[in-house]
Amino acid sequence: MMSDHPIRDRPRSLGTVLLAGLLLATGCSGDGQGGTDSDGLEVVNIGFVGPLSGGAAYYGRNVQRGITMAADEIAEAGGFEVDGRRFRFEIVSLDDRYLPYETATAVRRLLQQNQTPVILVPHAGGIRVVQEMNTREPKFLLAAYSSEPSILEAENPLMLMLPPRFDGYQEPWVEVMMGRFGTRLALVPTTTAYGRAWTEAVSAEWTRQGGTLGRDHGVDYNTTTDFTGAVSRALADEPDVLFIGGPSQPTALVIRAAREQGFEGGLLIMDQAKFMEMLDIVPIESLEGAIGVYPVETYPTPGAPLFAARYYERFGADSPSPTSEIAINYQALYLIARAMTLAGTTTDPEAIRARADEAARTLPQEVRVYEVAGVTDVGLITRDVFTAHIVDGEFVSIRIPVPGGAP
Amino acid sequence: MTLFLQQFVNGIALGSVYSLVALGLTLVYGVLKVPNFAHGALYMAGAYVSYVMLTSFGASYIVAMAVSVVVLAVLGGSMEWLVFRRLEGKTPVHSMIAALGLLFFMEGTADVIWGPTFRQVPTPFDGVVTLLGVNITEQRILVIVAAVVTMVGLYLLLKRTLVGMSIEAMAQDREGALLVGIDTRRVALLTFAISGALAAVAGSLIAPLLLVFPNMGELIILKAFVIVILGGMGSVPGAILGGYLLALAETMAGTYVSFAFSELIAFGLLVLVLVIRPTGLFQKGV
Repeated sequence: MMSDHPIRDRPRSLGTVLLAGLLLATGCSGDGQGGTDSDGLEVVNIGFVGPLSGGAAYYGRNVQRGITMAADEIAEAGGFEVDGRRFRFEIVSLDDRYLPYETATAVRRLLQQNQTPVILVPHAGGIRVVQEMNTREPKFLLAAYSSEPSILEAENPLMLMLPPRFDGYQEPWVEVMMGRFGTRLALVPTTTAYGRAWTEAVSAEWTRQGGTLGRDHGVDYNTTTDFTGAVSRALADEPDVLFIGGPSQPTALVIRAAREQGFEGGLLIMDQAKFMEMLDIVPIESLEGAIGVYPVETYPTPGAPLFAARYYERFGADSPSPTSEIAINYQALYLIARAMTLAGTTTDPEAIRARADEAARTLPQEVRVYEVAGVTDVGLITRDVFTAHIVDGEFVSIRIPVPGGAP
Repeated sequence: MTLFLQQFVNGIALGSVYSLVALGLTLVYGVLKVPNFAHGALYMAGAYVSYVMLTSFGASYIVAMAVSVVVLAVLGGSMEWLVFRRLEGKTPVHSMIAALGLLFFMEGTADVIWGPTFRQVPTPFDGVVTLLGVNITEQRILVIVAAVVTMVGLYLLLKRTLVGMSIEAMAQDREGALLVGIDTRRVALLTFAISGALAAVAGSLIAPLLLVFPNMGELIILKAFVIVILGGMGSVPGAILGGYLLALAETMAGTYVSFAFSELIAFGLLVLVLVIRPTGLFQKGV
């Protein structure tokens, strides 16, 4: 068969050689990872591996939106300086549909094709898989967007944990809820690995403070069609407080079901669900007595309203409210740029990680949505954390003494 | 007792939607032997059409649903005409892959048009009725009643009209139907159109209770397959009873055992039925 078209093979292979040569040439001109663009800025590729399709796509795209917004702002402002040269970020996104094994495949592809010195992964399952990969050659910095404290246990030397760890929330939240509503807690949380870890933490704290626990009526928020059944069952225990949470939108449906069935008690809501997104689905009256993470727009820091203004200017006044998914990752990219400047390299993850603490402390005021204080040895970005309790339709802030909340 | 009643009502409401989705699936399977995974996408599209009619055109809920039924009947019919008709005579694997492809294609299209955002569908029936200590929203009452009306309508269509009888004839014996002069292509087209209309009813009814997003069909289509296998592939009464049975089993098992097991119940039931009665509970007849 080969001899049928002896001539057609040659031009193709010639073309391949030429193409390969061209690719090599452009590859060499940059920093070993990207070329120089028309603005005279050199390009650093930042990898993003998260859910961009499927049920969690909304979440994944919010994270992506945060880093893309930061990357665009940096480029528009003329890039950032590293060792006398100016760089900008290019976000290279791959879809893992929230599946850890897909995360691993996508990470390998990013390393081979885009030489990404930093890869952001927004779910604990994927983060755990990537922790096995990032300390072997080629090394890279893992930007981990998950509040699950257990991702710190691996003591990965090349990781940054972007959000506050969730195990600081339970003690003050349980105290407030018990004080206002009473001591009986019913549970209808999501049953993902993250949800179970949260449930364990809240159950332990509730009993520690002398409350009584109902049975766990958890359901998987991503696959459940109708929450009424689980909510009816939980309410039959006549609880004072309901522990719920998962992605914002199904969480709002759980709240709606509970209020429709006459529940008037408090709502203790996991940090995955965001008030502003839930408010698109249920009215503020339904959220009365809820406790959860503080909305970004009104976060009690000088930088938060500035960030919100820039966000609306870029995406339009009628775009959905910025969530902490967007804001935390936005700020993290600025922090990484700053660490690269301090380290004098865009390619050495160890050197970048070593300057992350200093970068956090010296981050310019205008991008400090949250008042980051530093980075711990295991990579947790520390800061003051505020959460919100809804009282008479207003957000009342509760300061969290997060483990490692101060450096 | 109140809890039992409450959960019974919850189960019936959920079962109504399960049954409506499973009906469209079983009809198509009965007539064309196609496991139409894209049925989940039709259900999603039905919900989106209602959403658009309600929010962008300010239509009333009933008008929105009617438009959705017409649009989806056309969409379902074109699915048969553009895709499945061309796979006639090929192995069933071809149709199955085409159906999966259509599901992903339609989900992708919805994502491009509306994005991954979760949409809320407004309903005029948002009050809550309390009876014997049982709370039920007006929308759920509507779901239960409308499902029964639709099922009776479908029954009359199948048993009392020429079109319906040709559908049944074709389900029983395709070649026989062809021999007695039934235009099997036309019947296939009509079956897909009816299946699309059923998906539109289900999608429009449930949309105000849940949220509308591109992947919403995936959750329910798996359940619908369980129901169709449970009730017997191609059986109409099987799909109806199977739907209520599965929803009640899930809700009651959740209530008296654990909601963590409710998914397990669905697929456990499936395995049990396949072991004891591989043809399904209601095998014969459409």
